[in-house]
Amino acid sequence: MGSTVSSFIGTTGCNNNSATDALFSTLYSELHRLARRQLARRLAPSTLSVTTLLHEAYLDMSARESAIFPDEARFMGYAARVMRGLIIDNARSRSASKRGGEFEITSLDGDVFENPVNANELSSISDALDQLAEIEPELAQIVDLKFFCGFSFGEIAALQNLSERTVQRKWEKARIYLRRTLDKGFAPTSKI
Amino acid sequence: MPMFTHKQWRRLSPHLDEALDMSEVERSRWLSVLRRENPFLVNQLEALLGEHEALAREGFLEKESLALRGALGLAGQSLGAYTLISQIGQGGMGTVWLAERNDGRFERRVAVKLLNISLLGNSFEQRFRREGNILGRLSHPHIAQLLDAGVSQTGQPYLVLDYVEGLHIDRYCDRQALPVSVRIRLFLDVLGAIAKAHANLIVHRDLKPSNILVRHDGQVKLLDFGIAKLLEAEGTAEEASTLTIDGVRAMTPEFAAPEQLKSEPVTTATDIYALGVLLYVLLTGQHPAGPGPHTPADLVKSIVDEELTMPSDIVARMKPSEKFTVKNARVRSTTPDKLSRLLRGDLDTIVAKALKKDPHERYASVTAMADDLRRYLRNEPISARPDTLVYRTAKFVRRNRGSVVLATIAIAAVLGGIAGTIVQTQKARAQRDFAMRLLTRAEAINDLDDFLLADAAPSGKALTPSELLARAEHIVDRQQNANETNRAEMLTSIGHKYVGKDEDAKAQEILAKAYALSRRSSDPSARAQASCTLGAALAHSDIKRAEALIHEGLAELPNEPSYTFDRISCLLSGSSVANESGDLQEAIARSQAAVGALATSPLRSDTTDLRVQIALAESYRVAGRYREAISAFERASALMTTLGRDDTETAGTLFNNWALALHASGRPLDAEKLFRRAITISSAGNSDQDVSPMLMVNYARTERQLGHLNEASDYAERGYSKALASGNQVVVNQALLMRARIFREQNDLSRSRAMLAEVKPRLQKALPAGHIAFAVLAYEESNLACAHRDFPAALQSINQALAITDGSIAASRGGEDFRPLLLITRAEIKHKLGRVDDAARDADMGVNELQRLVEAGSYSSDLGHAYYTFGLTLLAQGKSPQARVAFRSAVENLQNTLGADHPETRSARHLAEL
Repeated sequence: MGSTVSSFIGTTGCNNNSATDALFSTLYSELHRLARRQLARRLAPSTLSVTTLLHEAYLDMSARESAIFPDEARFMGYAARVMRGLIIDNARSRSASKRGGEFEITSLDGDVFENPVNANELSSISDALDQLAEIEPELAQIVDLKFFCGFSFGEIAALQNLSERTVQRKWEKARIYLRRTLDKGFAPTSKI
Repeated sequence: MPMFTHKQWRRLSPHLDEALDMSEVERSRWLSVLRRENPFLVNQLEALLGEHEALAREGFLEKESLALRGALGLAGQSLGAYTLISQIGQGGMGTVWLAERNDGRFERRVAVKLLNISLLGNSFEQRFRREGNILGRLSHPHIAQLLDAGVSQTGQPYLVLDYVEGLHIDRYCDRQALPVSVRIRLFLDVLGAIAKAHANLIVHRDLKPSNILVRHDGQVKLLDFGIAKLLEAEGTAEEASTLTIDGVRAMTPEFAAPEQLKSEPVTTATDIYALGVLLYVLLTGQHPAGPGPHTPADLVKSIVDEELTMPSDIVARMKPSEKFTVKNARVRSTTPDKLSRLLRGDLDTIVAKALKKDPHERYASVTAMADDLRRYLRNEPISARPDTLVYRTAKFVRRNRGSVVLATIAIAAVLGGIAGTIVQTQKARAQRDFAMRLLTRAEAINDLDDFLLADAAPSGKALTPSELLARAEHIVDRQQNANETNRAEMLTSIGHKYVGKDEDAKAQEILAKAYALSRRSSDPSARAQASCTLGAALAHSDIKRAEALIHEGLAELPNEPSYTFDRISCLLSGSSVANESGDLQEAIARSQAAVGALATSPLRSDTTDLRVQIALAESYRVAGRYREAISAFERASALMTTLGRDDTETAGTLFNNWALALHASGRPLDAEKLFRRAITISSAGNSDQDVSPMLMVNYARTERQLGHLNEASDYAERGYSKALASGNQVVVNQALLMRARIFREQNDLSRSRAMLAEVKPRLQKALPAGHIAFAVLAYEESNLACAHRDFPAALQSINQALAITDGSIAASRGGEDFRPLLLITRAEIKHKLGRVDDAARDADMGVNELQRLVEAGSYSSDLGHAYYTFGLTLLAQGKSPQARVAFRSAVENLQNTLGADHPETRSARHLAEL
């Protein structure tokens, strides 16, 4: 098996990078648009559930691009990876301009948190995840779904047609891998 | 802490899977067993498992999602009269917080639910407060009281409830190992609480185990009454699609009634349905839709469409051998059999009545359901009647008339397309047809297996694989009405299993029948499979016909992707045939072709991957390319572990062949371990009826090399008798050569000679002149002559062996690994004859050739032995310093492969120290 991306692109028979890039940016802007729309509708700045966002994105996308995403599981697997990018970019733009971010995926606000999310930390986790995806793509996908997108073990299990126990075990394994990889590359300043 | 390389991680990964699945006790036992085999690996694993525990303690990456972090900041905030303390849960509806009153009026801890919705206007806020007031008046000892409902200053709606500490009802029952009758009593408490709510016209709408807690004092408490309703019917049309999904999440599809999925009115009967599901789970440990996990689409289909599997049936269907089945019964303080009998009858009927698809057919009230359960406990007749067969059939026909439409509407309307299917393109249709064809075949074969196993079970006695196969053959024979293609395929499949067990005579008989049948079929796949499998079975006895059959099979297959799997099978059979015929390049080429075909196949799977890897490894092994073979075996073994097939017959074959490669590369201790695993896999109890004779002879060879002559002799003899009985000529011959050698080493020279006399004509009959087997024969004759101290005859035989081997190498038929052994033996003979310089030259050559074969940095017992002999010849030449160097190399190789206590190791050490 290749990386997460190629393993699903492969099934559609368009195994080349430009197709992958196009898909990534389409999905990225789609998620971006949905997040803004969601937040615009809210009267008070409450949290925005990434899970809900992804479900909505799937509805929108599957209506248009059913050929690319034959099922929800594959969509979520891929979208979770895109979502990760979106979250990190968001955190990064916030740390650059304090309050200049275009939208808030969460109320990532230094005033509310004792422990603001460190964009560097997130992106080193992301790098480690990409490495993991090269060896065991399904482990990386579970981390994307759980950590970045807030799916529960049960939801991931139903999505991927695995037992909940298996999902948890894969998650535990991924965590071991990530910690080692992170400790090597970047010492996290705080727990995530 | 070092980072992983990909290679390291791949090696560790399957072990981690295993370890993480175990309890601590199991794990430490497992690690200590594994430590004997591979202490280095265990050290690594232990370090990682330690890190795993630390990570779990510190909650690394555990904060569920980043979205949650917004809510974390809420600790210490006030909502009405309550101060939030810490978050205790999260669900589809929102987050749950532990909180306490901040006005000092009560010292009461409460749970505050922050609902994951935003408010759209004053009308909703008013409705929310109004509904909250109604729910607040609902008071019952088994209902967690709703204390307050409000909206925060920032517009966040929240609910304040009694804080209940306890376990989900299903977990509580399992934890306490409650028998069925006690479970029913607890369930009756739940019914009491719901009856009270229904009397107040409040429907729960979201009954499920996580909403029904049992406190440590055994008191049941229901949570979240009516909250599903609070969340409903809000918002604008634009919001509807999102909220529908949240709505489904809130109602929990596993416990949803058909009318909820069809957006029909929700009534008290909806709760009765959910109670039926709950009772089902409490009684059987399973969801009515069968073992999970379930996709939304499966659930919808099962809930709206499918006939209910009776609780007693679902229990009876669970495989008795599985741990889960036994545990499932044990937490009900009974056995699987008794549980099924207990449920059959009244409990089946009661559950079925609660789970009727049509709300009007369910119990009219919760009280009526409770009454029936009480009657059951008192052994009185219940009110509900079981469905008659006529009724069920009529229902089935009625339901199926509109079922497709219904399911489609339910899925589309409720899940908003989540489970929508893709529009089939032409290509997809072709693939589907292909998949259907595979499925039909698989089903015919599965059906047969099912029938065999189901048929075997009631007799109460486990059948051995051989008995099962004999039965299978008989059954297929009688199925005259099955079509020819299917029968040919089934017979091929059975024959294939005999080939796997080295029962050649049997395999040939069945496969010949399959082949004849397949000639009457026009299905290319059935024809090719029959001909290639027969080819594989004939590889040992009629190599020409075997090769012809492989060609015929391959030619049969159209060059289309849908025949890729048949092609791969044929190539694999072809590879093993080429191995037998000695055309080793062709064998490797065929398995490499299979690897290539698989790589481009649209339906690549781990199982096929595994077969191909095994074949590739095997062709490398036969060609003497052990390094490549061993790494291919390692890959295959990792796949095997991933697939959870470490105890299967395929695993046995893999271990056997892998061990052969290890043995041949001079690692008998490693080989011994794998042979033992292979033997353990196929021994049922204490019987070796299903252990392949080939495996026995192989094991004997390794035992002999390790100096365990009695064990070796025993296995060689058993392998010989078995092979003779089953008609496997190759194994018979190998066993005879092996026994000749063992008898010689046990100093029983006359029996050794008898073995050689028996094997010689057999080899001449079965094999072409110049085959490497004749070199082995000559080598044994030479050794026997040595034992008789007839060194000139020994020299003559060893020269003959070398000539045959050189011929074989020149014709690319293998022997590279054998030649150095012959050179070393000749050095020993020449040494005995006093031709010291000649001897040293042979020994030197032998050492050099072996060094080329042995992987740099690894050890070989053959190389150790070669150095030892080389040292002796150097010593005889008076070159003691050089001899010492040779002996030191010998010690190094021998103690790492045969062990420090092996006589040859000790003697080499002694000589090195002179």
